[in-house]
Amino acid sequence: MNKPLAAIAAFAGLVFLGSGAWMLAGHFRAQDAVLVEIVQDGKVLYTVDLASEEDRSIRIEGADSWNLVTVRGGEIFMEEAGCPDQTCVKMGVLRAENLPIVCLPNKLVIRFADSQEVS
Amino acid sequence: MKLTTRRLTELALLTAAALIIFVIELRIPDLVPIPGVKLGLANIITVYAVFRYKPEETALIVLCRILLGSMFAGRPSAILYSAAGAALCLIGMLAVRRFIPPKWIWLCSVLGAIFHNTGQILAAMVLMKTAVIVSYIPVLLFTGCIAGAFTGLCAQMLVARIDRKPPA
Repeated sequence: MNKPLAAIAAFAGLVFLGSGAWMLAGHFRAQDAVLVEIVQDGKVLYTVDLASEEDRSIRIEGADSWNLVTVRGGEIFMEEAGCPDQTCVKMGVLRAENLPIVCLPNKLVIRFADSQEVS
Repeated sequence: MKLTTRRLTELALLTAAALIIFVIELRIPDLVPIPGVKLGLANIITVYAVFRYKPEETALIVLCRILLGSMFAGRPSAILYSAAGAALCLIGMLAVRRFIPPKWIWLCSVLGAIFHNTGQILAAMVLMKTAVIVSYIPVLLFTGCIAGAFTGLCAQMLVARIDRKPPA
């Protein structure tokens, strides 16, 4: 094994283990957040308090696509999307802070808000 | 770049193979439904080309695959993410290519995957104007390493079996 190859192997190994550990750490963090932001194109469109929000669906239009965001029973998820891959719909319910629901075509992000003060 | 008819045909053939793999992979249900996470089987061809063709020829194959692939998939908006990822991935793999012995091609592919995911994230941050996407980095890198090792191993077998001389 030559030196550059060893360096490449060490780098790849570190990235693999590091990202794995980081992922696990995020997974096991206690999840009590209830304040959710719906962000499009860098702007917060809606802030939803899952603890008090009534069940409803919000249709959000974008330049090329659209999304139907649904709040039901204290959970939020992407119910429908106007794109062919439907990845955001398959992601299911928003659960983790480190895994926001993202719709790339519509530049839409559903995520837990950074500050969790419920007013 | 001097492109003979024979060379052009070879590159076209590889591009077609990559596109077929790409389209077949579209039909496989997502293992992990997270944007940007996929096996990327078409990159078997990319890694193979990195070790068997000239850099500019490999770039040509990848460029054609991305343009045609995003049209076949019906999602033109994906072009920018794929292109940013592929560009970084290619630069990374070509930079380390000369240090990689035949038995370590899979490692080169892992490195390519790491670069690819980094490019994707950067593109997403710019296009979506939000830094939230950063939280995707660990998931993308972790799954990317596994996918990269797999596609790289496939390419490694291909390179070993198709005993074609490297570009003259």
